[in-house]
Amino acid sequence: MSALEIEDLHRNFKDVEAVRGVSLAVEPGELYGLVGPDGGGKTTTIACLAGLMKPTSGAVRIMGEGPMARGSQARERLGLMPQEYALYGDLTIAENLWFFGQLFGLPRKVFEERRARLLSITRLARFTDRRADALSGGMYKKLALSCALLHRPDVLLLDEPTNGVDPVSRRELWSLIYDFVSEGMAVLLCTPYMDEAARCHRVGLMHEGRVIAEGAPGDLTDALEHEVAEVVGGDREALHAVLEGREEIIAASPAGERLRIVITPGGSGAIAEAISPLGATLRQVPPDFEDLFLARVAA
Amino acid sequence: MRRSLKRIWALSAKEVRHVLRDPRSLYLALGMPVVLLLLFGYGVSFDLENMPIAFVDLDQSASSREMRQRIGASGDFVDTGVIGIEEAETRLIAGQVIAVVVFERGFERHLRRGELATVQLLVDGSDNNGAAQTRAKIEAMGRVFGFALAAGDAAGGAPPIETRTWTRFNPEGRSAVFLVPGIAAYVLAIVAVLLTALTIAREWENGSMAQLFATPVGRLEIVLGKLLPYLALGTLAVLLVLAVGMWVFNVPFRGSPLALALLSFLFISGMLGQGLFISVLTRNQMVATQVATLSSMLPSMLLSGFVFPIENMPMVLQKVTLVIPARYYVEGLRGVLLRGNGMEQLWPQILALAAFTVVMVTLSTARFRRTIA
Amino acid sequence: MTDPIIEARELRKTFGDFVAVNDVAFHVEKGEIFGYLGANGAGKSTTIRMLCGLMQPSGGAANVAGFDVGRDPMKVKSSIGYMSQKFSLYRDLIAEHNLEFFAGIYGLRGKALRRAIDRVVEHTGFGPHRNALTGDLPGGIRQRLALACSLVHEPKIIFLDEPTAGVDPASRRDFWRLIRELAASGTTVFVTTHYMDEAEYCARVGLMVDGKLVALDTPRELKRAYVPGVTLAVSGRDLHTGLEAAQELPGVIAAEPFGARVHVRFEKGSEDEARLRALFEADGRVDRIENVEASLEDVFLAVVGESAKEKAA
Repeated sequence: MSALEIEDLHRNFKDVEAVRGVSLAVEPGELYGLVGPDGGGKTTTIACLAGLMKPTSGAVRIMGEGPMARGSQARERLGLMPQEYALYGDLTIAENLWFFGQLFGLPRKVFEERRARLLSITRLARFTDRRADALSGGMYKKLALSCALLHRPDVLLLDEPTNGVDPVSRRELWSLIYDFVSEGMAVLLCTPYMDEAARCHRVGLMHEGRVIAEGAPGDLTDALEHEVAEVVGGDREALHAVLEGREEIIAASPAGERLRIVITPGGSGAIAEAISPLGATLRQVPPDFEDLFLARVAA
Repeated sequence: MRRSLKRIWALSAKEVRHVLRDPRSLYLALGMPVVLLLLFGYGVSFDLENMPIAFVDLDQSASSREMRQRIGASGDFVDTGVIGIEEAETRLIAGQVIAVVVFERGFERHLRRGELATVQLLVDGSDNNGAAQTRAKIEAMGRVFGFALAAGDAAGGAPPIETRTWTRFNPEGRSAVFLVPGIAAYVLAIVAVLLTALTIAREWENGSMAQLFATPVGRLEIVLGKLLPYLALGTLAVLLVLAVGMWVFNVPFRGSPLALALLSFLFISGMLGQGLFISVLTRNQMVATQVATLSSMLPSMLLSGFVFPIENMPMVLQKVTLVIPARYYVEGLRGVLLRGNGMEQLWPQILALAAFTVVMVTLSTARFRRTIA
Repeated sequence: MTDPIIEARELRKTFGDFVAVNDVAFHVEKGEIFGYLGANGAGKSTTIRMLCGLMQPSGGAANVAGFDVGRDPMKVKSSIGYMSQKFSLYRDLIAEHNLEFFAGIYGLRGKALRRAIDRVVEHTGFGPHRNALTGDLPGGIRQRLALACSLVHEPKIIFLDEPTAGVDPASRRDFWRLIRELAASGTTVFVTTHYMDEAEYCARVGLMVDGKLVALDTPRELKRAYVPGVTLAVSGRDLHTGLEAAQELPGVIAAEPFGARVHVRFEKGSEDEARLRALFEADGRVDRIENVEASLEDVFLAVVGESAKEKAA
């Protein structure tokens, strides 16, 4: 039995099909990344998993049970960190933690132990008396994650947990997530950050309500037919001008001072020719997840 | 079960923290009622004082002069002088006087002979309240005056000037006494309906309700956890209003405390149910505020018998008040405080409030769903 | 050096005892894309708000487009465009009406308003979405609308506070193409972002830590100053277990995860590829080890990460 299962999930809103037949499973100790552009259906999928929305058709299961079924234990074993700010701004860190601890019925000793551990890993221990609405974005997210982890859920759902968070805090949050995954938690994470997608065990690329590619990030990038190259030499803006609008170019972005481009299969010859007048050459590089995303979505 | 109680306790404790940290809620619940009472009690009075009055003296007798002096010295009126009959209408139309007292020729003669002496009173009816009180006071004074005169002449017999029966339970006719029950109802409408609707709508709006639903917490637990603190707050507010009413304005308490407690508990619960229902329907603070105000504060103020007697309303509105719970609470409160009523007299009001509460709670539970869409 | 269009001199903002912005000084040239980075809560948004005339400085001074932000905030506001971190658009209006609203606020009327809107819609490629309900637009498209609204009056300077937060990669690139075109045509762009690859487009970058501006230079110079040494990128599987051990290797300045890879930075001359490979192959699989250029993310981690670790100690 997988920790988390989605079976042919469909969810419609009036005339919009937000989720169009998604199926996936996440095992205990696995970190699954659901990646894709805004409006692709990721948040709706998470809402259905958490029992906040009834699917139009299809089934979702947490530890084998539907979250909306009567007497279901699903919610006890589920932790949710939603995208929006859902904690209580006028309560302090300590008060928010206490509240969720009570909600999940944690015995006092257990609560104190876990609270201490979470406060120490998140480095929030010194700020327990600060109100949640006075926290910076990164600190707030750490608190939200802590509140979702207090009851040691078997399944953790994270909806864009690092949005608007600086690179340092992002790494800290990830470190926290990894710790719990290695202890056996199944984690489903939605993210718009491609480099985070690459840090998951498996990734599902979600676009317009469907999962259009799924697998280990390494496998997916290895299988990419597109070529990815760095442009060595030449002036970046001039290169942009030359490359813009060329049909072989899927995307061009800065990589350090250079330009990194994603080229349609077989197109690198033509591109190399186009840029040589500017004194630039192509150097093939291994694709990363962002390249994969751009290639797949452009298709 | 224990876990359920723990959760309800956690929700209530959190709610109490929210209220304590939001000074506006506290002011609305506890500060405003006191302010309203003081305003109505001292400042805004329906009682007559220093109303300008003028006289037309066609009799020009000692008796007419004496009556004029008495009226002027009463403190209720200010004597603006004797005028001619033609001027009377002008003064009234200009709003310079509330009334003109006309002593007709033969006033003293009729009095001396023990015949009915009438005094004409021209009243500015545009101020309903003022006009009614003016008439009553002048009539009352006439009765007193008649006696005094009659006694001096040992004429005896029936009072020669018309009188009117004064109200029995509120002999001084003090507005504060009349208004306290209404203010109590109004205050509860604010606390129980507005604040409750707002707090739940706020959680929907900022997303924390969705977060709650993703936890094991049940719908009933959320409802109880949210409402219990407001039940306490509402009770506190009512006690505050009654306490201020009794100690500052000498509002009496003649009836059964049990009936008072029961009435109050049922009314508060009904109002809480209404607040919950509104928040369940709207999930949006702005809309919740408007609906709460329209459906509870306005009816409590205008349709409960608080300020305007129900009997004076058009038939249609009188029928409407039958479904306004504030009406029954105000009636019940007046019964307990002023008429010394108990359970036997007030069971219809208690029943009506109970029915309202049951309907509200049922409706809201039916509509309160765990889904966000 | 041409005459700067933004100049901050010992700019300071305090809230009670808390010093949010601590004597910050810098200047921005006309037509420059200037990046402003820092951790959440470091004071970036507060600085921007002062520069936009939205907040009075507690000390120091700043000139934007020739006006003093403390004395003439209204004049500053009419010369700039501002795209705030939280959306400033009305979700229940259609896109066109949002544009009309903002154009109207900046004093445009009649034909001038129409022309300005058409122009900005064309620039941002917003044409097909003009009549869509703002609340229904996907995030990336909404960002573009917000940008259009802040540009409708052709300001000389535009302030962008994390304009691409949460937006998908394709839309982010489109957005930055617009920014680059803007700058090329003479508009000065002052931008904050957490996407370090976007920061590479900036001519100069400033880094704020706890209210102080601790670094300000071109990306190249910042890398040279703060990320000295040689960085080896390790690609493979299950590399994170080896991360801590890698930090203990002799000559290693830092080891950080970067996407699926690990970047290990050595003091120049100490790089030991073989030892690194052996270490990671103990628990995982190494596919490739290669030399990589330092990135602004490395700079950020070096500057901000260091002080964060110091504070926790």
